[in-house]
Order: sequence, then structure tokens, then C-alpha cells
Amino acid sequence: MDVLDVPAATARPVRSRDRVGGRPRRRGRWRGRLSPWLFLAPALIAIGVFKFWPTVWGAYLSFFTVRPYLGNLWIGTANFARVLSDPDLRTALLHTGIDTVATVALSMMVGFGLALLLEGPARHLRILRTAVFLPVVTAMVVVAELWGTLLFPGRYGSVNGLLGDIGLGPFPFLSSAHSALASVILIQVWKSAPYDMLIFLAGLAGIDRDLYEAAAIDGAGAWQRMRTVTIPGLRPITTIVLTLGVIRGLRVFTEIYVLTNGGPAGSTQTAITYAYTAGVTNGDLGYASSIATVMLVITVIVTLLLRWWRGRVEAR
Amino acid sequence: MKLTSALAAVVAVLAGATVVSGCASTPSSSSSAPGPLSVWIRGNGDSQKEYQDIFAAFTAKTGIKVTTFATLTDFETKVNAAAAGHNLPDLVVDDASQLGAFRAEGILQQVNRSSITGGDQLTDLAWTSAKGSDGNFYAVPFSAQANILLVNTNWLTKLGLTAPTTWADFVNVAKAFTASDPDGNGKADTYGVAVPGSTSRGYVSWYWSTFLWQAGGDYFHNSGNGKYTETIDSPKAVQAATWFENLFCTNKVVQPGALNDVTTDSNKAFSSGVAGLYFTGPYAYATMDATSIANKYTAVAPPAGPANGQTLAEGTDIYLMAGSQRTSEAQQLAEYMITPTAQTLGMTASPTATIVRLSVNRTVDAATVHKNDPRWQLAQQVYQRQGHYEPDYMPNWPAFRQATSNALNAMLAQCSDPATALHALGGQFTTLLKQQGVLAG
Repeated sequence: MDVLDVPAATARPVRSRDRVGGRPRRRGRWRGRLSPWLFLAPALIAIGVFKFWPTVWGAYLSFFTVRPYLGNLWIGTANFARVLSDPDLRTALLHTGIDTVATVALSMMVGFGLALLLEGPARHLRILRTAVFLPVVTAMVVVAELWGTLLFPGRYGSVNGLLGDIGLGPFPFLSSAHSALASVILIQVWKSAPYDMLIFLAGLAGIDRDLYEAAAIDGAGAWQRMRTVTIPGLRPITTIVLTLGVIRGLRVFTEIYVLTNGGPAGSTQTAITYAYTAGVTNGDLGYASSIATVMLVITVIVTLLLRWWRGRVEAR
Repeated sequence: MKLTSALAAVVAVLAGATVVSGCASTPSSSSSAPGPLSVWIRGNGDSQKEYQDIFAAFTAKTGIKVTTFATLTDFETKVNAAAAGHNLPDLVVDDASQLGAFRAEGILQQVNRSSITGGDQLTDLAWTSAKGSDGNFYAVPFSAQANILLVNTNWLTKLGLTAPTTWADFVNVAKAFTASDPDGNGKADTYGVAVPGSTSRGYVSWYWSTFLWQAGGDYFHNSGNGKYTETIDSPKAVQAATWFENLFCTNKVVQPGALNDVTTDSNKAFSSGVAGLYFTGPYAYATMDATSIANKYTAVAPPAGPANGQTLAEGTDIYLMAGSQRTSEAQQLAEYMITPTAQTLGMTASPTATIVRLSVNRTVDAATVHKNDPRWQLAQQVYQRQGHYEPDYMPNWPAFRQATSNALNAMLAQCSDPATALHALGGQFTTLLKQQGVLAG
């Protein structure tokens, strides 16, 4: 699902740079047209086989009761009717929405803050940036297992142990239906904020230093420089961070599967964990495919809306 | 730009289609070719070695070669993929709980119990794990087990208690373990019961089913002709759910975080001295003996409920797969796997894996094979006298188990009314029975 949108998010800056710096080349017209495709072919074929084709196949299976050996039974739109009337799925979609909005907003805020703090060429900043970035390159399953241990809901848990020393808790964290979703969101923010930071850092590096100087000469304080130079300068980057974050949020799976499997009391059930249970545990691959297809449509719509919004913002 | 991206998509999809259709055209040829028997096993590396010991002995005896494929990861998904390509292995060794699902998918061959050489040496109880909802057999049982209760003996001694034999005893011991600081460290950091309460793979329902049967309840009523009605909201089932909920909500004797825990976590809760009572299978002996709880725990028969002392039984079955070109050789291998020689090999060939937990063959004595370990003697007695299998014969039992898990997990998390929770679950059961084509009336 994600591949669809990554080119959408990165294509535009590349193109605009071409327009500014590149000179049109006319020699070897066919070779010129063909060579980028040849370079792209290995990736395109891999993406085609492992992403596009399964996506198309999944959408096709949505119209069947899937029976691998006896042959699939055509049931028309019955699976989609079930998607619309399934109250548990509706709750799961609501959780997905809450998780996405909260994770994206918090990650962006934390990521932006970290980028401001850690921007610059000094060596100690480079070391700090690497340290802060580590959660991003650690496997999600490992991160989730570790957080599961850290957030153990009794006095044994490291976090509760520390909080206990200052007279708080123990908090249930992942074990209560009231706090599980919030805990999962915090873990996702911990993991994805440094990624957002990195993109913001790239954006900050692209802002013309002269603008800061000019603003300073005009007597602008730190806050005003941020409001009038930094934030407007980061606008294109922000929409990329937003788009990537939303896509990441809509397909949230690993951390929830590892930490809570949707519990307790379904309080962390998201659309993808729900589809996984329907397909793999309950063996209903047709219904699972229809949920995944609906999620694909939702993701495409949200991405298009974000692109449209980005176009408007950049046109200003 | 639009044109080029459309072109890219077409190229990509075509490339994908070519590769996939290329794959799809190969399989059928291999299944008809003469060659070794193909056996797929749900198990990890250690158990694969044990199976290979059995197969090597089979090859030495009959000259029939066997190739194996073993994995724990998404095993059934891989079986489904093989089914879609109509290239199933000749034999599959998997949990008995897959029987109904495999049968509903049409990928099993029916087994004639009386034509299985040595089949008369297997216990009737073991054969029930191979029985379909129509009363016919669709597998040959290979291994069996039933849950026993592990108790922390250090804690019992410290508090001057004895292992529980009834539900009331069980609650009293659990309360004492929670409140009376049995590890003597001066902190309130111990709990009575270790429970894998996660909905993952239906754990909490799997754990609770022992209490359901002990209260005299059951999941379904058999109305004959392979049709069923649900009984999950019967008063006895409500009694079992209420008792279970009280452990969490009233007595508060379960380890924290239990509702997200799978068996790896609850194993750890027992072995690390967080909780002192634990229902689990005899396969846990090896796990526990490798931790600091070794020699500090005992295994006892599950405390009896108001109706009886039944306990969850499980097993591994040998499935003869549809489309096999070598059915008679496959049956020979299945027959060999249930002989006393093969069963004993399965219990002893490797110290770290016991692919045969309790033998399905009544001539093999677990305690003798395990060097007179009384815990194995107990496990065998409990299985034979009190073992009760889940209704694996349903066309899709895992769907019922998942629904039950979701309902129980939610009820326990919110400490809500058991009767209401089970009544709603009963509605879901009726829908599932209808969807699976086995609803009576």
C-alpha cells in the first residue's frame, strides 16, 4: 500500500529541481527516453511482483469466499456489505483514525523540536543526531518487545519502578482498555519522531541563511524568525512528513500485533490487525481482502486530499 | 506524467502476472512424479530432527524415502498456498485443532479407522481428536496431552498450604500467594495465577475451556446429522465465566498485564516467581526445568469444578492429504508413526523437543519412557481420565475460539456482566454456525 504513495511524495521536489537546473537534452531521443526505464526496471519489476500484483489480486479476491483447494466461490459484493455493517470493524477504523492523527501530530511536533535542537554541523550534534535516530533503524518487533517489558504494569516494570520512586503508579499502561491505545501511540511516536526529525533537518538545511540574517537585521527575535522564515520555508517538507506519517499510521500493525494483538477488550484493534485476524486466524481470506481493499481506497483518497492541499499551499 | 505512470503500472502488472502464471504452471507435474513421500510438519528445527529419526527408521524398514519440510511460521498459510497450487504434500503433521478447517477446505482424505494397521492399539480418546463432525475419521492421531496444574512448592511450604484440589481451594491458595508475600521479600509483588489472557490465536478461550467443562458447560449441543446449536450462554457456561472473572476482578489474583499475555509471557510469570499457579501442558516440564523454577514446583491434577475435573486435551494428528499419488505409502508411514517404536522415539530422541507428548498408543507408558518421572505418569492419568478436546471437528473452530477470546478478554478488561457477555457471544456463535453450514433447525 505504501509504495503507491512514496513516489507521489518525493516526485515533485525532484522535478522542480530539474526544471530549475537541468538543460533539455535532445541527442539519442529513444535511448534517452528508454534509459531511465531500464534503470528503473529491476525496482519496478520487484515492486510489480511483490506489491502491485498482490494488491490487484487482493482486490479481486474481495469478491469471493476464498477456498484454495475447492475453488473460490463468487459472492459478489457480500464481503463489502459485511465491511460496512461490521460494528467491530467500525471500532477498529475509529482506533486507526485516532492512532494516525495522534501519532502524526505528536511525531511531527517532537520531530520538529528535535530538528531545531540538533541542527548544525558540530561534531557533538552529529553524534546526538545519530543517537536520536537509532529507534528508526531498530526493527519494530524488537522495539515493541522491549517497550512491552519496560511498560510492565506492576512494580517489576522499569517505567513503573522509576515512577514508583517518585511516588506515582503503578500505571496499567498496555493492560488497561483505557490506557492501551495511548501507550501504543507513545511507542509509535518514540519510533517515528526521529524519522520526521531527519526530514525536517533536510528542510532546515535548504532554507537560505540570508533570510535569517535579513530578518535579524530587521530586528526580528528568535520566535519571529521561526514564524516568518523557518515555518514557511518548511512548508513543502511538512506536507511530505504529513503524507508519509498518515500512510504509516493507516497501516499500523507490527507494534500492536506484538504488544496487545488488539486487546485488551479490543481497545487497540486497528483495521489491519482486524484484517489479519479475519484472514489468518479465522481463515476468511475473502473478507480480509475486502477490508484491505477498503483500506487501500481510504489511503489513496487521503493521499490525494493531502496532495491537493499541498498543491494549494505551495501555490500561495 | 500521467501517461508514463500508467505505462509503468501496466509494465509492472504484466511483469507480475508473467511471474505468477509461470509459478502456477509448474506444480501439478511434481505431484504425479514418483519420488520420496513429501511430509510437512508444523514444528521447529529440534522437532524436525526427531521426526527425521522416525522417518529414517521407516525408510530403513520399508525402503520408502521421505522428504520433510518443517516450520512454525504461518504453517497453515503455506498449506493453503500448496492447496491453491493443487500441489499438496502427501502427509501433513499438524495440531488436531486444524481438522475441521482442513476438512472444510476439502484437502483431507477420509481415514478408515479399521483399516489402519495398529489403529486398534490407539486409545478411543485419541481417536476423537481425528473425528469429523459427520462421525467419520479424517486423520490418524499421533500425540496427545492434557493440561495439568503447576504449583510453586516453595511458596506452598512457606505458607503451610497444600496443592488445591477444588475450585474453592484454588482461590484460597491464589489469594494467599497474592497477599501473604510467599517469596518473603517484603514487597507485594507476587500473584496467584498465571494466565495467558491475550486474544492472540484464541489463547484466553483456550485457557478458559477447562473451567467451562469443569462447570458442566460446553460450546455446542449436537442436534444430530452434523448440525449444532450453541450452548455458550447456558447457566453453566455463565458460572464458569463468572468464576474466571472473579479471579481477575474480585480476588485480583492474576499476574498484571495478563490480558495481553501469550504463553511465552505466562510461562515467564510462573518460572520467574511472579505467579505461583499455572495451568499448562506437560510439554512445559522441559521449559520450566531449564529455568530457576526447576525442582521448586510440582504438577498436580487440575482442581475439580462443580461438575467434574475435566481438563483441556490437545493433540497432533497425521493428515493424509487429498490429491496424493502415493496414498498407500503415505498410510504405511502413518501406521509406522503410531507403532510403539516410533512413538517412543518421538518421546526420547531429543532432550529439547518431545514431538510425542503422551503416546496415543496404549501400549506405551509415558512414565516408563521418561525414566519413571512421576509428573509424566500424572500427565498420562489426567489425559486418560479427564482429557476433553475442543470441538476441533467444526468446519472452522478457530473462528469460534477467536470470537470467544474477544468476548472473554473484553469481559475481563471491563469486569462486565458475564451473562450479558456470553449472551452476545451466543448470538455470534449462531451466526458462525449458520455461515459454516452446521446450524440446526
